[in-house]
Formats: sequence, C-alpha cells, structure tokens
Amino acid sequence: MSGPQIILWVIALAMLALCMRRGMPQARRAVAETNRGFWRILPMFCVALPMAAFLSELVPADIATAWLGDDSGLSGIMIASLAGGIMPGGPFVTFPLVITFSKAGAGVAQMTALLTAWSVYALHRILTWEYPVLGWRFVAMRLASSFFLPVLAGLIMQALLPFFAINLASR
Amino acid sequence: MQFARVLNALRRHASLVVISLIAITAGLATLQLRGADAFMTALWHAWDLFLFIVPSLVAGLLLAAALRQLLSPDALARLMGAESGIFGLFIATLVGTLSPGGPMAAFPLVLVLAGAGADRGALVAFILAWSLNGFQKLLVYEAPLLGLDFALLRTLITFPMPMIAGWIARRVPIAWEPPK
Repeated sequence: MSGPQIILWVIALAMLALCMRRGMPQARRAVAETNRGFWRILPMFCVALPMAAFLSELVPADIATAWLGDDSGLSGIMIASLAGGIMPGGPFVTFPLVITFSKAGAGVAQMTALLTAWSVYALHRILTWEYPVLGWRFVAMRLASSFFLPVLAGLIMQALLPFFAINLASR
Repeated sequence: MQFARVLNALRRHASLVVISLIAITAGLATLQLRGADAFMTALWHAWDLFLFIVPSLVAGLLLAAALRQLLSPDALARLMGAESGIFGLFIATLVGTLSPGGPMAAFPLVLVLAGAGADRGALVAFILAWSLNGFQKLLVYEAPLLGLDFALLRTLITFPMPMIAGWIARRVPIAWEPPK
C-alpha cells in the first residue's frame, strides 16, 4: 500500500472507532453502507478500467501533443476545459483517461483544466442531479460564478509548472 | 409494462451502459488493429489498476459511511448564513471538501443545508468544494493514479476557488429559492 492509502485507512478506521463510541448500531450501519456502496460501484469498475486501458492502446502516441500538449498554451487549456465539461462518468472513468491523454502527449496544465472543468461544469451531473434537485436557477447562478475557474486553474498550473517536476505520462 | 421496466432500468444504469458499449467497441478495435497481445496487455493493465485502487476504494467508502453517521448538517448550516461573510464561505468550503459520497448524497445535502439556514453563496461554495476538492476523490483516485505531487499541487490551486465562486454567487442577480 502507498502512503496516501495508509493515511486513508487510518482516518477511516478512526472515524469508525468514533462511530462505535456513539453506539454499536451506528457503527454497524456504517459498515453495512460501505458494503452496499462497494457492490454498487464494482460493475462500473469492471467496465471503466478495461475501457481506459483499451483506449490507451488505441490512441496513437503524440496525437494529443498538438492540441493539448505543454506548448498548446491557452488554446489547449480552453479545449481541455470544453472536453472536461462534457466528459461523462465518475472518477473511475476520468482519472484513468487523464493517464491515457497524458501518455498521448497532453500537458499537465491542460489536464489540470480538464479535471477542473469535469468538476465544475459536469454536464452529465447537471442533467441527472443538479437540475432535478435544485432547479435551473441554481444551475445558472452556480455556472455564472464559476465558469472561469477551469481556465484559471490551467493558467495557474502553467505558471507554477517550471518550479515542480511533474510528469503524468510516466504514471 | 415489460418495456417500461426495461426502459427504467436502462435509465438508471445509463452511464454503465454507455461505458460498457465504449469498452466493448474499444476492445474489439484493439483486437482488430493492435492484435491479441495488445488486447491481453490492456486487460492485464486494467486488472493491475483494479488491484491498486480497491484498497483505497473500500477505505474511502468506509470513511464516507462513518462520517455520515457522525456529522450533523443542522449545526454546520448555522455557521453559513447570508451574514456569515468570508468565514461562512470558508466553513462551507471545508464542509464540502470533507463531504463524502457521490452526487446522490451531495445534492440532497444542499437542500438540507439550505433548509437549515445556509445562504446561496455558501451552497455554491459547498457544492464546488465537494466536486473540486472532495477528499474522497483525492485519496481514492487522484493521489494513487496521478501521483501525490500532482494531486497536492492541483488541490492547492483549486482550494480557494469555491470561496471565490461563493463570493460572486452572493452578488449574481439571479434569484433562487430552495425548492420546498
């Protein structure tokens, strides 16, 4: 297990211990919910991970360099923001795909913009959750206050990159 | 009747169906264009990734479930009213970052927070902090898959963003009332 995984387990077990101090029924509910959640996510994993692996076999190396490479600058950041915004699916799809894009030549700043846009715009999540639960006025208000964030995040990452050695293509 | 039930099941599992179709198409294309060796390599790689993620996935789910038993949204929402200023936005950002679970948990929580007195700036900050910087995504997926360096640097960059958006949302001329 890697460092972050160990930290995660320590925190999770500590919170479970807190639940147990409040009462056994609460702890048992937490464990039952974990179990249910795992079986709900498992089918997704079984198709999303092979999908990302097949795509990374298919996508020719360097195909993303021109549009999304380190030198694509602001226009690459904007293309990545658009792509991230319409990308469907949960984190089990997105993060393996980011590795695929990086191996095909996409830049770190561009991938930062893509991940931020996937979180901020999230078209599929707006349609399936945000609009039905909170209404279109909330969606409009949230987008009006956050639409510029993916490009901003990409530009800040681009400015900071020279100070850090980050390489996503080797992941 | 039967048809309606099938349609409903399809709708509930829409992303699973779409991703399965893409996976099958990509798998066949790999077999056809790159050969059986590349096909097996890809499957092996996916299995490796699966074994790598599963421990964090289970821990993340456990943490999420335990936090849901421990946190009280009512007490938190009282710190996020319209008069709460930057401090309220900061609390909303912190709560969003710590909020576990997927959209089926987060969006109903927005309604609970709104009902308990959180204002629209705080709600925007909350939902953005959950989706941008949620600890569960960070620890289960981003840090293991993309590396701790990238995950930390990206999170540092985007951590203040929900507060900026919340500050703007308080000033955007779009009226919103929480649905009753």
